[in-house]
Amino acid sequence: MKDNNNRLPLVSLNDVWKIYRMGEVDVPALRGATVDIYKGEFVAIIGQSGSGKSTMMNMVGCLDMPSRGTVMLKSHDISKLSESDLSTLRGKAVGFIFQQYNLIQNMTAFENVMLPLEFLEIDEHEAQAKARKVLESVGLHDKMYHLPSQLSGGQQQRVSIARSLVTDPEIILADEPTGALDSVTGREVLSTLQTLWKKEGKTIIMVTHDLNLARYAQKHVELKDGKVVDIRENNNIIYSDKR
Amino acid sequence: MRLNKIIRHALNMVLHAKLRSWLTILGIVIGVGAVISIVSLGETMQKQISSQLGDLGGDLLTLRAGASRASFFGPGREGGGGGASAVSTEDEIVLDKTDLQVLKSVSGIKSIDTQISGQADIYYVAEKGSASVVGVEEATWATVTTSKIAEGRMLGPADTNVIVVGGRIADGFFSRQVGLNQLITIEDRLFRIVGILDDTSSSIYMPIDSAYAILEDKDKDEFDTIIIQVKDEDAINSTMASIEYKLAQKRHVLGKKYDFTLTSNKAVQAQRSEMMGSMTTFLTAIAAVALLVGAVGIANTMFTSVLEKTKEIGIMKAIGARNSDILKIFLIHAALIGLIGGILGLALGYILSGILPSLMSSSGGGPFSRFGSGDAIISLNSVVLAIGISVIIGIVAGTIPAVQASKLKPVDALRYE
Repeated sequence: MKDNNNRLPLVSLNDVWKIYRMGEVDVPALRGATVDIYKGEFVAIIGQSGSGKSTMMNMVGCLDMPSRGTVMLKSHDISKLSESDLSTLRGKAVGFIFQQYNLIQNMTAFENVMLPLEFLEIDEHEAQAKARKVLESVGLHDKMYHLPSQLSGGQQQRVSIARSLVTDPEIILADEPTGALDSVTGREVLSTLQTLWKKEGKTIIMVTHDLNLARYAQKHVELKDGKVVDIRENNNIIYSDKR
Repeated sequence: MRLNKIIRHALNMVLHAKLRSWLTILGIVIGVGAVISIVSLGETMQKQISSQLGDLGGDLLTLRAGASRASFFGPGREGGGGGASAVSTEDEIVLDKTDLQVLKSVSGIKSIDTQISGQADIYYVAEKGSASVVGVEEATWATVTTSKIAEGRMLGPADTNVIVVGGRIADGFFSRQVGLNQLITIEDRLFRIVGILDDTSSSIYMPIDSAYAILEDKDKDEFDTIIIQVKDEDAINSTMASIEYKLAQKRHVLGKKYDFTLTSNKAVQAQRSEMMGSMTTFLTAIAAVALLVGAVGIANTMFTSVLEKTKEIGIMKAIGARNSDILKIFLIHAALIGLIGGILGLALGYILSGILPSLMSSSGGGPFSRFGSGDAIISLNSVVLAIGISVIIGIVAGTIPAVQASKLKPVDALRYE
C-alpha cells in the first residue's frame, strides 16, 4: 500500500502466516500479520518472547518462507524467487546484525567483513577497500586482523555491523542487537543504528523485547501471539548525542 | 563465489580441523600407498619378464624327455645356456641320437645344442664345493646360449678339458677369486677356465663329451635337454608343430600322449607374464579395499564437518551465500583431503615399491625371488591415476554431505547450536 507520499513500501507483509509442525500439532508463529515498512524508516518490532518477532524478521530477511500470505521485498514476492535469486537479494538488499554477532570464529574481523562481498563476486581490490573503510567507520581500524575470540563483545558486534554494511544494503535487520552487551556498549550500538538511519538513510528494522530500546526507533510494530496488535509512530524518540 | 575464494575457504576448513583431517588423510595415504606399491611391483615384474624374454631369445625351443609338466615358474634357463636341471625322471624315456637325427631333418632349424647336466664335486686350492655341471655341444652352444661372456671366451669347436664358469664360481664360491686360465678339478679331472660368464650363477659349462666322463650316471648319446634355435622366429609355431609331428612319428606316440615336451621360451614367458598380471590385479583389488575404507573415512569426516559447521553455513547463507557456493566449498574440502592423501600416498607407495621386492625375495621367494633387484617403476600413469582417483574418491565421498550442507535452510542452520 502506498503511503501519504505516494511511496511503495520497501517491505510489505500481507496476511502472513507461519505455521510450524511440532509432531502432530500445528503451531502458528505468525497469524495473518500485515505490515508495510517504507524506505528510510527505523522500525522496532516489539513484543513478548514467543510473540513472533524473530519469525517476522526471518521473513523480512528472506531466511524463511511464509506458510500463507505474501512477503514483498523491494517489490519481489520472496515465495516466487529461486534459491539463487533469494541469496543474491539477501546479499545485496539486507544486512543482518545478530544478538550473538554470528561471526565466523576462524576468520579475522577483516575476513568476516569481506565475506558478503566474496559471495557477490566483487573485485578483490574494491572489496578490500570497502571492507577496510567500513571497519574504520565503526572504529576498528586497529583490530582488523584480530580473530573474534580476541575481541570484546562490543567490538564483535561492531564487526557484525561492519559486515552488514559492507554491501551497502538498503535494509539493516537487527535482531536484539544489544542483547549480549552491557548498557554502555548497547547504547553505542543504538547510536550507530540511529546514525545509519538519520545520516545514511538506511531502513532499520530492529527486533527487541525491550521497550526502552524501542524508544530509539521511529515506528513501533507490536506483536502478540503472532498477530500485529499495534503499529504506531514514536513521537518521543531518544536521540543519542554520540556520532 | 570465485573459485580461488572457494578453495581458500575449503583449505581453511582442512587446516582448522587438523587432527580429524589428518586422520582422514591417513586413511587415503594407506590406500593409495598400497595400490601404488602393488601396481609398481607388478609393472616392475612385467618389465623384468619382458627383459628376460628378450635375453632368453624368442627363437629358442627346449626339448625334454617325458610328458609335459605344467609349471609357470619352472626351472627356466636363467643363468645359463639352458637345461640346468635334469628333467627326465623316467629312466626308460630318454632323448638320444635318433631324436637328434629327426631334428636335423626338420627344415627351419638353425642350430641344435644337446645338453646333459648334474651335480659334481669341484676342487680349487684345497677347497671343495658342489656345483652344477652342464655339458653342452661346444660347437653350437655359443650361438644358442643367451648368457653373456664377461671375461675370456665361450666354448668353441674342438675344445677339450676347458670350461666356462658362472660369475659366482669366479667370485664368491671359493674364498679366493678364480680367474681365467686357472685350473679347477672337477671330480678327478683337471679343467682350465677359458671364460667367465656375466651372471651370478654357480654353473660350469664344458664340452658334452667331457661331461659324460664326469657325470657317470649319464649314458653316452643320451641327452637331458636339446636346445633348438629356429631360423625364423615368426615361424616358430609351425616349426614347433613340424618337430612335434616328426618326433611323435619316430617315437611311435602319434595320436597318443607325447613322451616328450617341447616348449618355447616365448610361451613360458608369456605364461609367467599372464600369471604376474593376474596376481597384480588380485593384489591391487585387495589394496583397493583399503582405498574404499579411506573413502568411507572421508564421508564420515565430511558429515561431521557439516554438522559442526551448520551454524556457519547459516551465517554464510544469511549474508548472501548461494546453495552452489556451499556445495562447492564442501566438495572442494573433500577433494583437498583426497588430493593431499593422494600425494602423500604416492610418496608412501614409492617408498614401499622400493622396499617390497627385496622383502619378498629375501622371504624365500616363490615367484618373486627372481625380482629381487632392479629399480621400482612408478609410471606417469600411476601418478596421474593415484592423484586423480584420490580426488575423485574425495569428491564422491563428499557429495552427499556437501549436498546436505547446501540444502540446509538458513533459518534452521542459524538456530543450530
